[in-house]
Amino acid sequence: MTDNKTSKEQKYDRQLRLWGDHGQETLENAHVCLINATATGTEILKNLVLPGIGVFTLVDGHKVSGEDVGNNCVSITIFSKPKVTYMLNDVVLILQNRAQAATELLQELNSDVSGNFVEESPDKLLDNSPEFFHRFSLVIGVQLPESTYLRLGSVLWEAGVPFLICRTYGLIGYMRLIVKEHTVVESHPDNALEDLRLDQPFTELKHHVESYDLDNMEKKDHSHTPWIIVVAKYLEKWYSEHNSQLPKNYKEKEAFRKLIREGILTNENGTPEDEENFEEAIKNVNTALNPTKVPSATEDIFNAEQCENITSQSPSFWVIAHGVRDFVRNEGNGKLPVRGTIPDMIADSDKFIKLQNVYRDKAMKDAAVVSKHVEALLQSVGKPPESTSEQEIKLFCKNAAFLRVVRCRSLAEEYIVSVSIASCMDSTDSEMVLYLMLRSVDRFYQQHSRYPGVYNYQVEEDINKLKLCVNSLLQEYSLNVNVKDDYIHEFCRYGAAEPHTVAAFLGGSAAQEAIKIITHQFVPFNNTFLYNAMSQTSATFQL
Amino acid sequence: TEVPTMAQLVGPLRKELADSLFSCRVLVVGAGGIGCELLKNLVLTGFKNIEVIDLDTIDVSNLNRQFLFQKKHVGKSKAQVAKESVLRFCPSANITAYHDSIMNPDYNVEFFRNFQLVMNALDNRAARNHVNRMCLAADIPLIESGTAGYLGQVTVIKKGQTECYECQPKPTQKTFPGCTIRNTPSEPIHCIVWAKYLFNQLFGEEDADQEVSPDTADPEAAWNPADAAARATASDQDGDIKRVSTKEWARSTGYDPVKLFNKLFKDDIMYLLTMDKLWKKRKAPLPLDWTEIQQIESSQEEACGTGLKDQQVLGVQGYTQLFRRSVETLRSQLIEKGEGAELVWDKDDPPAMDFVTAAANLRMNVFSMNMKSRFDVKSMAGNIIPAIATTNAVIAGLIVLEALKILNSDFDQCRTVSLRSQSNLMCTRPLYVQIEDGKGTILISSEEGETEANNNKFLSDFGIRNGSRLQADDFLQDYTLLVNVIHSEELEKDVEFEVVGDAPDKAPAPSAPEEGKNIANGNKDSAQPSTSSKAAAEDDDVLIIDSDEEPSSSTMEASPESSNRKRKHHDADDAASKRKRLDQQPADDDEDIIALD
Repeated sequence: MTDNKTSKEQKYDRQLRLWGDHGQETLENAHVCLINATATGTEILKNLVLPGIGVFTLVDGHKVSGEDVGNNCVSITIFSKPKVTYMLNDVVLILQNRAQAATELLQELNSDVSGNFVEESPDKLLDNSPEFFHRFSLVIGVQLPESTYLRLGSVLWEAGVPFLICRTYGLIGYMRLIVKEHTVVESHPDNALEDLRLDQPFTELKHHVESYDLDNMEKKDHSHTPWIIVVAKYLEKWYSEHNSQLPKNYKEKEAFRKLIREGILTNENGTPEDEENFEEAIKNVNTALNPTKVPSATEDIFNAEQCENITSQSPSFWVIAHGVRDFVRNEGNGKLPVRGTIPDMIADSDKFIKLQNVYRDKAMKDAAVVSKHVEALLQSVGKPPESTSEQEIKLFCKNAAFLRVVRCRSLAEEYIVSVSIASCMDSTDSEMVLYLMLRSVDRFYQQHSRYPGVYNYQVEEDINKLKLCVNSLLQEYSLNVNVKDDYIHEFCRYGAAEPHTVAAFLGGSAAQEAIKIITHQFVPFNNTFLYNAMSQTSATFQL
Repeated sequence: TEVPTMAQLVGPLRKELADSLFSCRVLVVGAGGIGCELLKNLVLTGFKNIEVIDLDTIDVSNLNRQFLFQKKHVGKSKAQVAKESVLRFCPSANITAYHDSIMNPDYNVEFFRNFQLVMNALDNRAARNHVNRMCLAADIPLIESGTAGYLGQVTVIKKGQTECYECQPKPTQKTFPGCTIRNTPSEPIHCIVWAKYLFNQLFGEEDADQEVSPDTADPEAAWNPADAAARATASDQDGDIKRVSTKEWARSTGYDPVKLFNKLFKDDIMYLLTMDKLWKKRKAPLPLDWTEIQQIESSQEEACGTGLKDQQVLGVQGYTQLFRRSVETLRSQLIEKGEGAELVWDKDDPPAMDFVTAAANLRMNVFSMNMKSRFDVKSMAGNIIPAIATTNAVIAGLIVLEALKILNSDFDQCRTVSLRSQSNLMCTRPLYVQIEDGKGTILISSEEGETEANNNKFLSDFGIRNGSRLQADDFLQDYTLLVNVIHSEELEKDVEFEVVGDAPDKAPAPSAPEEGKNIANGNKDSAQPSTSSKAAAEDDDVLIIDSDEEPSSSTMEASPESSNRKRKHHDADDAASKRKRLDQQPADDDEDIIALD
């Protein structure tokens, strides 16, 4: 067993650095459903199987055989065939009822993953047992016709199962995420400010700062005092001269920097010594004096209805959020629990570790108070206090400033109101036009049971037919936008093909989003992603 | 089982492009994370003739993303297995695999000229620099790419039309693969990272990601069973050390510096030596022995380097003593703190820093590297680059799209694509950036006093290194000379520099400015085998026109001529024809090109 654990650690080493052991564990407990093993579908699946998703179920009603080549689905089958053959030999073979061989081949890709296959079209499954889809952590629908993804979308919306639609259409990539509510504790922000509380020091920090006397210090100690202490000390000085107001604007901050600079020790000739810690202090003035406050995204979470009305059914995210809110409104005096980490800095180890402990101890204390609130809350809704772990609360407190809740609109909502289409069409080459074109080819499919341009001899007449579809779409939504003919020609040219390079791009992107959704780490896109492989541009829209 | 081509996929791609997919030859440099994805995308897009080169063998930690490899392939050549795996699903492809370093001189400019396109899928800068230069010299378009965690980038490099890989200065690389740290360090930083890990393993918080012992899951372990016995013997020499954690073992010896020393620098190294495949193309490490080192006459060892104590480089014995002293200090610190205590590594904590300096330097010695001063060691540190399948898949998809544009000669369509963290956002910028004209730093001037301050400096102080170009202007004669500085380790004794290439007629007799002294003392990281250097002419103004530029490339951009002129000369601008042209046109606006091949 431990052997298995070590080998997993080795195998997943490079990704554990991104989402940690707990992220990996969530991934390994996930069950993902993927519909249609086309080029894009198999790329996505490959990118989920390699990092070790727990279980996947592949739903595909298409039989891959020579006969498929030449029918209406020519583009799909012809391109899925080689891909299927290379990666998911298992899929092909399963579709040809060769289960034994399939399992073996799958084991080769990643023996930690188990896979199931359902040789049925998603429409049939929706007809017969829509609850089939309720069991999954995530459903990924690839190259689905509009009617199918609309039906499936509403089933999954009701069931609260996240749904990711992916589509490679010629040189265009499209993804749509549909999830009612997706909560993220570890959003891994790129440039997070430190949580130092210099503007509102807590008692323990105040005492710790008081324990330093910069004016009566050996030179060695003076130049090894952490910059946080230096800033705190000079801030006191500043306050006494400035009505206890923080230096706010550039000019004041410059003056404050000057004040710190004047504190650098000088040698007998009067030239300043080389005190790197003071230089660090000066460099950090700008960010270190940011007023401590609850970020608006976190504030919104506190004010959300889900946070307000905790029931025994509430997910732990909301329960803990409520606990943190109680903390902020009581013991925290309007501030979040202290994060408890400080950046690396010039200081001797002893001073650094002492300072670090001041923050760390305070963070633990705050988290303990939050725990009490959570406990009381759980009790009030009749749940045992063990239903949230200490670990979970600590992680939550540490990330309290970075919490995110992603709420996507449903497909039904998207189809009723065209909120932002016109406003996003700021130029005729906005990626939004690609969205309109995809909607138009769906309309074409609805009318003609095939996509435009799949047969060379029909390209010319399809251009006109597609144009009609575009116009009727624009009319229906009362959109006064111009879709250039070039796009209509281009989309006919694509013939609904699934070029591999575009599929590879989208397969990587989709799998990445899937991992974000499964692990609840990092923030997934909301809600429509469009990729243009010709111009190498992409855009995200909220539709 | 015929694979459809891009032409079939996107019907409208021109027939010529479709044909060129069948006929063109492409080179893929690297068969790792990006390489595996790239090979798949290439054959599925219809590329037929592909050559792939990779020095590495397959490691367990590759399997989370390098899908062409499976557990059973661990220890085998990446290039070879990648080829075989691709042929399984695309038997009609014509793939040649090289298990070799692209920096091997066999792969010369002629080799590169065999291809219409080169695609980098590399993980280190030295090789990237090398391929960049080779492609510029051969005038073959290059697609450069890289990923790190959720970040990625794809860039097209075309001589005379885009920036090259080395046009923009790169920040120091800070992260390294685990097996490089544990088994095959090749740069001082690898040893420093190892020593930091070692500190935590011995005295601090143990971290599974910071293993320091030889990687027992290393490819070769499973790959050559005959070695297994030898290896077992090697590890048995130190009892059961493999079965307990490094810390437990160290504790059981009472942190005996001699035992620690012999395990780390003798036994572990001997163990590594049993993995003989590792040393086929690398210099094998040389184990150190405590007793032998004690016997070295201390007078033989003198600290080299001048200035502060921190900046001196001690000898093996000096570092052995430092190792002993620091282990003893850290041991007593640990005892002082009581049972179960842990030390935190801190660069500003002298014994901790001493320990890392000593351990890193001893390891550098074992792996035949030049040792570093405490000062230098302190300024270096590092982690491991995270890597996942998804980013590689995205980047490899983008590479092939750029490849198609190149084959279609749509250079103006080429883009540099950056994948930003987390989100799926990409930012793109057009490529047609002219090479920068330099910073205009004046090195030597005939104007009295203007550059006096430079006289005692070294070329390296100005960032001049292998591949830097100097422009010398003689305003009186209206004569401009471009000098390519090339680093050499092989100059004869007392020879400070050497001029190669044909000196132009009108050039003043070359003489040595003071800076010349340092030429053979410069950049050791250079990827390029170099032959000599040339110093600037006395009393002329020397202007660094582009210190980051590659010697034989894009010379036209660098010269202060109009763009019309650049185009005109463009076709003559390859290494072979250059020298000829120099002979014929010794007049003004000439260049002295130092041969690289």
